Amino acid sequence: MYTLLIIQLAVSGALMGMVYALIAYGFQLTFATSKSINFGQGELVMLSALFSLTLIDRGLPYWLVVPGGMLFGVVLGLFVERAGVRLALEQKSEGWILLTIILGLLGFSAAENIWGRDDRPFPTPISSDPLHFFGIDVTPLELSVAIGVVAVMGLVELFKRKTLLGKAFEAVSADRDAAQLMGISATRTIQLSYGLSGLVAAIAGILVAPITTVGPTMASVLILKAFSVAVVAGLDSGFGVVLIGLFLGALESLTSFYLGSGWREAPGLVLLILALAVRPNGVFGKASIRKV
Amino acid sequence: MLTVENLHAGYGTSEVLVDVSLKVKAGAVVALIGANGAGKTTTMRAISGMVRPNRGRVLLDGRPVQDLDASRIARLGMAHSPEGRKVFGPLTVEDNLLLGAFGRLPRFFGFRARAAADLEGIYALFPRLKERRLQAAGTLSGGEQQMLAIGRALMAKPKVMLLDEPSMGLAPVIVQEVFNTIRRLKEAGITLLLVEQFAKSALEVADYAYVMDRGRIAIEGTPAHLREDERVLAAYLG
Repeated sequence: MYTLLIIQLAVSGALMGMVYALIAYGFQLTFATSKSINFGQGELVMLSALFSLTLIDRGLPYWLVVPGGMLFGVVLGLFVERAGVRLALEQKSEGWILLTIILGLLGFSAAENIWGRDDRPFPTPISSDPLHFFGIDVTPLELSVAIGVVAVMGLVELFKRKTLLGKAFEAVSADRDAAQLMGISATRTIQLSYGLSGLVAAIAGILVAPITTVGPTMASVLILKAFSVAVVAGLDSGFGVVLIGLFLGALESLTSFYLGSGWREAPGLVLLILALAVRPNGVFGKASIRKV
Repeated sequence: MLTVENLHAGYGTSEVLVDVSLKVKAGAVVALIGANGAGKTTTMRAISGMVRPNRGRVLLDGRPVQDLDASRIARLGMAHSPEGRKVFGPLTVEDNLLLGAFGRLPRFFGFRARAAADLEGIYALFPRLKERRLQAAGTLSGGEQQMLAIGRALMAKPKVMLLDEPSMGLAPVIVQEVFNTIRRLKEAGITLLLVEQFAKSALEVADYAYVMDRGRIAIEGTPAHLREDERVLAAYLG
C-alpha cells in the first residue's frame, strides 16, 4: 500500500512536470536561433492563461478559447522579440537579458491591474474524475496535460525536420552567417522562434491553468522550475527537457509529501545549482566541440 | 554581371578595404589573389552583405545591392561559399544542399520533388556526396565538406558565385580535385569570383585577375599579363 502511495505521488508530480518541460522547451526554441531566451516566459504563460480565462468569462466555448489563447501567446512572443530582444541583438549586446526581464515585469503589473491579484479557478470541460490504472489514480485532466505537451513538442519537431522552413530554422541554429548566405533571413527566423516560443508558453498556460488556478503569481513559480529543467537538461535537447521535467515533477511531489509542502520549491533549486556546478552544458547538452 | 565600384569597408573604425573596384563579366572566372590579410575575404564579405560597406557600390546584374541584407542579396542571385566552408554540421548532406536552394523552393512541402532534378545534377558532379547524402555534414572530411559547400552554392542557381579559399586546409591531392571542379564550373558557364592562396593554380583557371595588397587593388590584368609582371612573380608566383 505504501509503495503504491509513493508511485501515485510520483506519477501525479511527473505529469505536472510535463508543463515545466514545455515551458523549458520554449527557452530552447529561441536559444537555438538567437542564443537568447525570454526571461519573461513565465509571464507569457500567465498572461495567455488570464486572457483565455477572459474569453471563457465572455462565454466563448472551450474549443474556441484554446486557439484564441494560442494566438495571444504568439502575439506576445513576437512582441517580446520586436520590443526587446531584437534591439539588443542588433547591437550584439547581452541587453536582451535585462530587456526580457523588464518586459516580464511590465506584463506582471499589467496582469495585476487588469485581472487583479487573486488566483482564480480555470473552468475546463475535461473531467477530473480519476481513472484507475493498476491501482494508480490519474485524472483525465492530468493526462490532457501530458498528451498536450507531447503533441505540441512532437508537432514542432516535425515542423523542424520535415519542412524546408524548419530546416532553415536548424540552419540558423547551426551557423547564422552561413544561413544568411543561403538566403535565409536570420531576423525572420529569430522572429519565428519567438512566435513559436510564445505559442508553446500559451499552450502550457492553458493546459496547467485548470490544475493550478490562474493569477499573476503563477508566472514566477513556473518560470523558476522551467528554468531549472532547461539548465539541467541542457538548452538543445527536447527529449532531455521531457525526461528532466518528469523527474523534477515527481521529485517535487515526493519532497512536499515527506518534508512538507513548504519544501516544494527546493528540489528545482538544488538541481539548478548542482547542474550549474557540475554540468553547465546540461545532462543532455552537447559539449561544444569546434573543429578549426 | 558583378561590378564593385570604389568600395570602402572595415570592422568598427578600422578600414580594411580602400577604394576597391572590380568587375566580373557573365560567364567569366575572375581570381582575387594577394597575401594573407590583404583584404580578399573582406572584399567577398562586403560584396555578399556580410560586412556593410562604408562607401561605394556593389552592382549585381546592374542592380545596387550594397545596402541590402545578406539574405536578400543571396536571394537575388549571389551565392557566397564562405572561407572555412561553413557547412551546417548537424544537418545531413542532402539538407545542406536543399537549403542552398532555399530562396527558390516552397517553404513547407513539396520542396524535395521540386529540387530532385537539381540534386541529381549536384550528385552527378560530386558522386561522393550522393553516397553520403544522409550523413551529418559535420562528419565529412575537409575535401568532402568543400565539395558540399560548392554544391550548396550551385543549388541556388546563382547569377554569380563567390568562392572563398576553396583549397584552404586540404591535402595537395584534394586541392587538385578542387581546381578540377572549378574548371568544370567554368565549362558549365558559371560566373565565378575566386579567392585563392594558390595564386598559380588560380591564374591557370582565371580569365582575369586582381591582386590585392593592404586593402587595395594593386595590380590587375589577364593571367598572361600578370605572369609577366615582376611584382606578381616575386611576391606570389615565386
